[in-house]
Amino acid sequence: MSMNNAGREASASGASGINRRIDARRIRAFLELVLLVANRACMLLLVCAFALPFAWMLSTSLKTLPETMIFPPEWIPDEPVWSNYAVAWRSGPFFTYLLNSLIVAIGILALQMLTIIPAAYAFARFRFPGKGLLFGLVMATLMIPAQLIFLPVYLMLSGWKLLNTHLALILPFASSAFGIFLLRQSFMQTAEELIEAARLDNAPEWKIMLRIMAPLARPVLVTFALFSFISHWNDYFWPLVMTTNESARTLPLGIAKIRETEGTATWNVLMAANVMLAVPVLLAFFAAQRQIIRAFVYSGVK
Amino acid sequence: MARIELIDVVKRFKGETVIPKLNLTIREGSFTVLVGPSGCGKSTTLRMIAGLERQTSGDIRIDGACVNDVEPGKRDVAMVFQNYALYPNMTVRGNIEFGLKNRGVPRPDRERLVRDICEIVGLTPHLDKKPHSLSGGQRQRVALARAMVKKPKVFILDEPLSNLDAKLRGQMRTELIELHRRLGATFVYVTHDQVEAMSMGDRIVVMNRGEVMQSAAPMELYNDPDNLFAAQFIGTPPMNVLPLSALPGLRTEGEGDPAFVGFRPEHARLAPESTELPRDGIVIAGEIATRESLGAEQVCKLRSDAGTFFVKSFLNPYSGGDFALAVVPCERLYFFDRDGSRLRRLRAVQPQLAAAGV
Amino acid sequence: MPAILNRLRPYAMIAPALVVFSLFYLYPIGYMIHLSFHDWNFISPVKTYVGLNNYREMLADDTFLQVLRNSALYTVMTVLLATGTALPLAIWLNRKSAFHAFVQGAIFSPHIISLVSISLLWSWLMDPEYGLLNGLLHLFGIGPLQWLNDPDTALISLVIVAVWKSLGYNTLVFIAGLQSIPPELLEAAALDRSKPWTTFRRLILPLLSPTLFFLVIINLIGSFQVFETIAIMTQGGPINSTNTLVYYIYEYGFRYFKIGYASAAGVILLFIVGALTLVYFRMLSRRVHYR
Repeated sequence: MSMNNAGREASASGASGINRRIDARRIRAFLELVLLVANRACMLLLVCAFALPFAWMLSTSLKTLPETMIFPPEWIPDEPVWSNYAVAWRSGPFFTYLLNSLIVAIGILALQMLTIIPAAYAFARFRFPGKGLLFGLVMATLMIPAQLIFLPVYLMLSGWKLLNTHLALILPFASSAFGIFLLRQSFMQTAEELIEAARLDNAPEWKIMLRIMAPLARPVLVTFALFSFISHWNDYFWPLVMTTNESARTLPLGIAKIRETEGTATWNVLMAANVMLAVPVLLAFFAAQRQIIRAFVYSGVK
Repeated sequence: MARIELIDVVKRFKGETVIPKLNLTIREGSFTVLVGPSGCGKSTTLRMIAGLERQTSGDIRIDGACVNDVEPGKRDVAMVFQNYALYPNMTVRGNIEFGLKNRGVPRPDRERLVRDICEIVGLTPHLDKKPHSLSGGQRQRVALARAMVKKPKVFILDEPLSNLDAKLRGQMRTELIELHRRLGATFVYVTHDQVEAMSMGDRIVVMNRGEVMQSAAPMELYNDPDNLFAAQFIGTPPMNVLPLSALPGLRTEGEGDPAFVGFRPEHARLAPESTELPRDGIVIAGEIATRESLGAEQVCKLRSDAGTFFVKSFLNPYSGGDFALAVVPCERLYFFDRDGSRLRRLRAVQPQLAAAGV
Repeated sequence: MPAILNRLRPYAMIAPALVVFSLFYLYPIGYMIHLSFHDWNFISPVKTYVGLNNYREMLADDTFLQVLRNSALYTVMTVLLATGTALPLAIWLNRKSAFHAFVQGAIFSPHIISLVSISLLWSWLMDPEYGLLNGLLHLFGIGPLQWLNDPDTALISLVIVAVWKSLGYNTLVFIAGLQSIPPELLEAAALDRSKPWTTFRRLILPLLSPTLFFLVIINLIGSFQVFETIAIMTQGGPINSTNTLVYYIYEYGFRYFKIGYASAAGVILLFIVGALTLVYFRMLSRRVHYR
């Protein structure tokens, strides 16, 4: 392209110094290319800093035990030891763990939907005394993390004999101030005219809520659902505190436990278990990267 | 003030050629208006002059010097953006000073310049306010002040009045014209509104799809359009253009192969059906579909066998029945060939009855 | 519908959510404060009132002071590194192309993976004998480091893990903030002959300040709550060098069964988080620049 320019310039201006101009342009184009390549190379290095650990995790999971104890470390095992995965799976009631994780995450999401949709709707579209105070109260809970209240809640649930049950893992999260906040924003943005048209059509309030506003808020609901599901699927702390029984524990606990049972250094089996824990989330991430990123990033930026 | 030249400028965006080849000269000290429909390339051209976009190929010269590789800040060009682009975190004073600070203008000089410019645009009481507490008109003045204080050679304005209400817009129009007269800088103004273009510019550049359709003074554009596009761009309602084949009684002589004939609504007059036919113009018979009265003006829409067209009269509303004759003098006819180019060496042969219905 | 039911309806709609919050958030806080003034070992039905004793004991305990120090150190280092590097990274990576989206996605990936996975992975990476990190350092001739096994380096090792996890999130939030700046502003600055650093300091940074504060506070609060990495990687050791507030509460509550004492530590944590939150809302209303 720069050649064509130079050619046209040469014929158009016909003045001296065109050679200098051709060179200057070629040099600049070349420098720009070099800079671009260097830039991209640095970015790839950055990606490596994040991808390499996962690659190493995979590599370790396919090694024999002696192979993990080589220094300096080698990447490719002689023969992939797929049996590590079987050993990891068999080392504990993983099917139970998986089931519990699923029940808990889905249960939480279901209850959250039930509690936040009406609450967000009420805060968004009605006027009632005490609304500001109640909303402030709800938002205040955003600042109360699980790590703060686990002890008293543990004592409460213990008193009600609910420890080691799914309820202990689900009920405390049955609602979400974050979800109410997001959904309220979305509801407030729905045009008043739509609702008025529905009211003129004699639609009862609940129908308006479910048939008109909820579908319009679907992207926000999906975003929140992603956020909630992933957060609770990954949760280690709460199940750790609330359950002691193997039959009630969730996947993250199961994986962490392998470390304790297998002794200190069976890294290959441990990494195999780790791969099993991380891969589903990673796959979901690659499939829905933009959605997931939007869920986590934009929800935080008010 | 400075002369601006665009020579063989081409602009491509991701494979799409927005400006195929542009050659344009903007005279120093002129108030040149770039006008055209959305997407015609006028804003792109503006941004290339300012240096905010780099042309794909071609040269841009300001005052004879090639500025292709000169960064925007150093081209001695100031710009007023459509949305003002005021720095929200700085006060009015800060907004105006910013450019001066970056040039190392010492504080006492800066303060004097800012004070003077605020007197001129009437912003003195607002100096310490932030943009979000100003009205639209005030923000626009800040944008202007910010540009003016740099005393640039070239003033670029990108649809600066489109965000104002009608009354304010009219006010600002005259203020901008006065400003141009006072500063003497070269103004390059972009708008899609032909009324703004005609009233403000001393030179109008009509653009379409990245090409210059015509570059001329306003009256020249009105009286002597180069092509169909330019002809139909100016005027409310625009020039009526009918296919020549629809007017079988109209014969022409001269150079060119005419395909369209046009006339301006204000050059036609309506007469009742029974009128004696004139000898110096064409007549089209039609039915009046709508009559719009705009106070002093009346615009009638007529349907005829030759097509639909408009007739505009001033202080002389037509009071006859629904069927009327539209009479257009021969010298007010414009002929265009199949490609839309104007055929200047062609004229109507003799007054004849034209179009069916008579 | 009768008028009275109409008036009650919004309350009915909020009720379920409110019940959950009151029961599991607000009441426990009160309960915890109440417990902090008592002595209780969880098994006996008797709770003895001891007034401020727990607090006095805590402030006299060297371990607790070290825990506070560790928490503060960990938090400051993590927040500075994670937000300080995220901003230049965001400016560098801020462009809308498939390649950039790929890079952004790559650095974000640790954020959605369970902390358990990350803790286990990094425990292995930081293994003093066979870990990959020491293997990489070996290539540069740097001798094997002890990472998590050395009281001097353990906390910093945890900081590295935390930064690795949150860098992507911080960067992407900054990128979102950068993209919300109208490009005309930057063009106007260019026309005002503003050099890149000036544009950054006087235009971009002020406009980014709400995002910056948001991230700093989120990171601060999150850092004070760190638990999983400690529980899995170091269990507070070696020699309490990585013992932080939440872990301390956990140990005293679940291992030593000193419920009252643990609650008192919880109240301290409550104050810290509450203070940080207040600071955030204060600064939000004062320093934010609006369009």
